[in-house]
Amino acid sequence: MKWFRSIVAQERTTARLTGVLAVTILTLAITFVLPPVADSQLAGGAAISIVILGLSWLVGWSGQISLGNSGFMAVGAYATGIWAVHHGSTPLIFTFFLATVIGAISGLIIAIPSTRLSGPYLAGMTLAFSAAISPIAQNYTSVTGGEGGLFFNTLTTPHWFLGLFSGQNATINANAQWTADLAVVVAGVAFFFMANLFHSHTGRAMRLVRDNDVAAELVGINLPRTRTVAFVVSAAFAGLGGSVYVLINATVNPSAFPLTLSITLLTLMVLGGIGTLSGAVIGGIIYAFSTNLISHLNSLTGINPTSNLGANMQGIIFGVLLILTMLFAPHGIAGLGRRLRFFVKSVRRVASVSTGE
Amino acid sequence: MKIGKRNRRVAALLCSSALALATASTGLIGASAGASTSTPGVTATSITIGASVPLSGIAASYASVSAAANAVFKYIDKLGGINGRKIKYIRLDDCYGLAAYGLGCTAGASTTPLSNNQELLAQDHVFATVGSLGTAAEMSVMSYLRQNNVPQLFVNSGSVEWNQPSSFPELFGYQTSYVAEGKIFAKYIKANFPTDTIGFIGQNDDFGATGLEGLKDGGITIPSADNLTYNAADAISGSTSDITADVSTLAQNKVPVVVLDAVPGFTYGILATAHALGYSPQWIISSVGSDPLSVNTPLEAGAVTLSYFPSTTDNADPWIPWLRKVLEEDPADFPKFNSSSVMSFNELYGAGYALAFAETLRAEGKNVTRGGFVKALTSMTLATPAITPLRFTGGNHQGMQGGAIATVNSNGTLAPTSVTVTKSVFTTTPFAGSSINSSNWIIAPIPSWLK
Repeated sequence: MKWFRSIVAQERTTARLTGVLAVTILTLAITFVLPPVADSQLAGGAAISIVILGLSWLVGWSGQISLGNSGFMAVGAYATGIWAVHHGSTPLIFTFFLATVIGAISGLIIAIPSTRLSGPYLAGMTLAFSAAISPIAQNYTSVTGGEGGLFFNTLTTPHWFLGLFSGQNATINANAQWTADLAVVVAGVAFFFMANLFHSHTGRAMRLVRDNDVAAELVGINLPRTRTVAFVVSAAFAGLGGSVYVLINATVNPSAFPLTLSITLLTLMVLGGIGTLSGAVIGGIIYAFSTNLISHLNSLTGINPTSNLGANMQGIIFGVLLILTMLFAPHGIAGLGRRLRFFVKSVRRVASVSTGE
Repeated sequence: MKIGKRNRRVAALLCSSALALATASTGLIGASAGASTSTPGVTATSITIGASVPLSGIAASYASVSAAANAVFKYIDKLGGINGRKIKYIRLDDCYGLAAYGLGCTAGASTTPLSNNQELLAQDHVFATVGSLGTAAEMSVMSYLRQNNVPQLFVNSGSVEWNQPSSFPELFGYQTSYVAEGKIFAKYIKANFPTDTIGFIGQNDDFGATGLEGLKDGGITIPSADNLTYNAADAISGSTSDITADVSTLAQNKVPVVVLDAVPGFTYGILATAHALGYSPQWIISSVGSDPLSVNTPLEAGAVTLSYFPSTTDNADPWIPWLRKVLEEDPADFPKFNSSSVMSFNELYGAGYALAFAETLRAEGKNVTRGGFVKALTSMTLATPAITPLRFTGGNHQGMQGGAIATVNSNGTLAPTSVTVTKSVFTTTPFAGSSINSSNWIIAPIPSWLK
């Protein structure tokens, strides 16, 4: 169980478990209050937050950059889709496990050359991977359904859950909320694992490799192995996120995983805050409710949503937010919170010093 | 193997989450059609219906289809509605299912056809979806709508998927299937280009694949070197390499006749690429991608297509002036439309399914239910601008069965604005080996209550 111990945090596991559990339960409670449409958006956000977390780990903790996570996401998504089409009645836990493992394998394949590359070269290689995924899916029509993709049934709402709802739209509302709750629970499990990983042997080794790889080697850390692990974990999370994403949407097709999705993921990660759990949560929330934000802004400013400007609102908003974040909050929105707390503390300290005089 | 305290905690968490997830599976929901007291979306004074359609992005040119349908509904509302009920038509943008691309899409990245349909069902409580667009988009919501017993009416796509009355009794197509279109093109090619080599460029999905199936069923052999596809998704991210490569191949092989199964944006791309290469074969373009106002290039003049509507400039057809009046009365959806504006195929298309919905609703009577609607739809004659009847039966939910060969008119150096539609209509089924029947145009008279 040596490998197992190396990925489990040495201390404060209970605190982390409590924290993740609290956030998960709070989110589950919120899904009961939210209207069904917001629930289904939240489900998408939860799926994406898992992918963002995996990317955040890779970039924030191992210092490697990846533009290939939409590709890993597609791998997990197709694994799920192909499995769901042929074996629709297996328990979901197995589907998620399968997607995670296959995502991890694809990460391993990409990681092998990645250990020799860094910086822009690594970004270029992962970019090539995510660019290649869609054409592969488009051309192996017999397996992947080609450009049209694969279709399967929407998630089943269990009867006990359905029983919590009444009225004319019970089935519809229950289905939307069940989907959201399922995605939130999967995200909760994923976040707990990552929280542990952050503070495990592997996590600490990862940070040292990021900050000073010579020092890391001197203390006996195997550089290629550590970097490979970073990639595999990141890809596993992307695979799991992709799996949840397609189960929510009941279809998998190449158009859902464009190159630009990798950029969107990076943007969301930076906006939320690199290398933190809360950053990934914030990124997921921004993703989930971007539609509402855009239509709200369009109606506020009176911009015609079908005009050239209106149609590119999403790019504009993300772009402006990204610039503002880089300028004023390099650690993202999550980091902004920490900075504010620090600021308040230091103001208090100054205040107490001056009153002491 | 000693598992520490910490590890036990992790294991416990794993097990409990496993248990929670194990109860869920990706099967169908059990039949849950309880006896409901009232029909969703229907009140004494209104009926709410919806659609998930592209209003922005690569297929935004189709936005005028549902806009025209909306104009027809507004016109009917002004006449007092159907049996005292006003029709409320909610259109949500799904960016052709490509919102994940972000750029050019008004819909946020998390928008999908399914999320739009969830919104229509859960928030707007629609009676049915009417005229939602796209094969892949609509296939992704089929099971969801079926589970909730929501009619999925007049899907804007020529896929044969919409004709499965036994497993999807509330699902109805609208336009002539791609297979039937391919068979009619095959007949035309055999009569006019009996000895020529035929090339093909199709969208790499159900659209291209079933169009090709129709051509083959009609007896056309396309040499494998000239049988090409393009991927719609690639071109959105800025790459047009597929189209360039496809057209260059056909130009090199000097193929004299080329059949295109492409959406308008790609039809334009293909024609422009061919022009740049100095290559000008006889184009035969699917009705899906041939509307001259959408393709918008003088290069399209002379191209052959299939039309299930009269020419939009044919004022002898009673529907054309009628629809112009309807559009002029709806400045919200057609702000610049006046007596000198040019109407496109899209508007006729959208008006057609709106009329079909309204007429069925009217025939159903005062007491509206989903079951009653489906029953009425499968047993009535629908009056639409189409020149080939839109007819459904208990065993056939496909929609229109054919159309007439049409030629895109030249407009000098400007982009063409109209087509000339030949007078004989061909009809056939998507089933292999079924024959092609020929008849004259059928122009349904405008029902008196719509005048």
